Amino acid sequence: MKKTFTLMTAAAMLAVAMTACGGVPANTVHNADDLVNKTIGCQLGTTGYVFAGDVEGATVEPYNKGADAVQALKQGKVDAVIIDSEPAKVFVEKNDTLQILPDPFVEEEYAIAYKKGNDELGDKIDAALTQLKEDGTLDEITTHWIGDDADFVSYTPDESVSRDNGKLIMATNAEFPPYESIENGKIVGIDVDMMQAVCDVLGMELVIENMEFGSIIAAVDSGKADVGVAGLSVTPDREKNVSFTQGYAVSTQVIIVRKD
Amino acid sequence: MNFFEQFADKLYSTFIEDARWTYLTDGLKTTLIVTLFAVILGVILGFLIAVIRATHDKTGKLSILNFFAKVYLTVIRGTPVVVQLLIIYFVIFASFNIDKTFVAVLAFGLNSAAYVAEIVRSGIMSIDNGQFEAGASLGLNYPRTMIYIIMPQAFRNILPALANEFIVLLKETSVAGYIALTDLTKGGDIIRSATYEAFLPLIAVALIYLIMVMILSGLVSKLERRLSKSDRG
Repeated sequence: MKKTFTLMTAAAMLAVAMTACGGVPANTVHNADDLVNKTIGCQLGTTGYVFAGDVEGATVEPYNKGADAVQALKQGKVDAVIIDSEPAKVFVEKNDTLQILPDPFVEEEYAIAYKKGNDELGDKIDAALTQLKEDGTLDEITTHWIGDDADFVSYTPDESVSRDNGKLIMATNAEFPPYESIENGKIVGIDVDMMQAVCDVLGMELVIENMEFGSIIAAVDSGKADVGVAGLSVTPDREKNVSFTQGYAVSTQVIIVRKD
Repeated sequence: MNFFEQFADKLYSTFIEDARWTYLTDGLKTTLIVTLFAVILGVILGFLIAVIRATHDKTGKLSILNFFAKVYLTVIRGTPVVVQLLIIYFVIFASFNIDKTFVAVLAFGLNSAAYVAEIVRSGIMSIDNGQFEAGASLGLNYPRTMIYIIMPQAFRNILPALANEFIVLLKETSVAGYIALTDLTKGGDIIRSATYEAFLPLIAVALIYLIMVMILSGLVSKLERRLSKSDRG
């Protein structure tokens, strides 16, 4: 047993040594035009993935998680990562070897996806969103998660609401801070808080289903979830399969690269 | 739109539009390459480990090598292959831009070797001790006895179990997508992420795996029949 332990320690040290001595290549991407013929990491199914596919001669590496793509970037396995601006800020904040390039791609709008034809639910959520925007709840939620004063405090559900109108199942992918991520074993973020507030208005109970990003639209389409809320930007392709409510946030795709 | 038109429409958007079928063919190619080389690596390493372990069991020699082999088997069989894959990609080759197909071959090959080793060892141990003695009485040394007398008999005994391991390996490569390697499963996922339609890509991927496994099983049972022809009686 002791021998085994010694051996494993030796193997672990060797692995660490190999990690330390390998050189990460210098950054070669300084603006969007530099992406040509480069290797671009992204999360499968995101708009970043679609943009990366349009870059001339680029090799696109579709990871299951945005964080994996960022890790690959840190280790020099890809030259750049295209991802939504807010998660990008969180990733860069946690990794001081990375930076966000100043020129962003086009703006997009995040909205809540629901099953095509289920306009009854869609209209109710839409009305609730309008209310939350007008009474400032949505802005308040956002300030808890984005900006210099962000304190990462979750929205407190209204205990006085009777939740007689059933469950609202929300499909999401908790790999997308600050919109949704797992902190201390709980899924938290703007999307979660917003949907909790929506459920407070509608008198429903919020149930969160965490799944692969690429499965969210299919889950909504097949009725496994009532809504998809995962920083989903409205794209024509997605609109073919699901309906969207009004937008609740504006986002841009940005390029993350290693620091020079 | 009636059902058939809808179905035809989905067929078109899943496979034909933007030449999406190429994700499946390219993915299949990657899956086959990874499986083939992983099998080769697994068989070579697995046989070596098995011979070390069996020799130790039979003769008590090679105790240091046997110790390393045992540690290897414990570690590899005690951890999930997808974790091993991620460790090789993100930890061992942390700051190298390494070819992902190579990483996958290494991960699945090293993993398979542990299972092949135990299968081969069980085959060697299943051969009666009298066969070793017969070899010795013919004047053959230990390696020659192993190669000419024990292995041919052992191989026939372990063939079904070995084939099973290859089938498992072929299907296990479906987790290669974790390191953004576009294998068959990931190819289907990419189509799914573009069309948001789950049924056709998943069924197509499942069918392709099924057909590959059926071909593999067919080849193995052919080989089994060929080998059993030399049986007496």
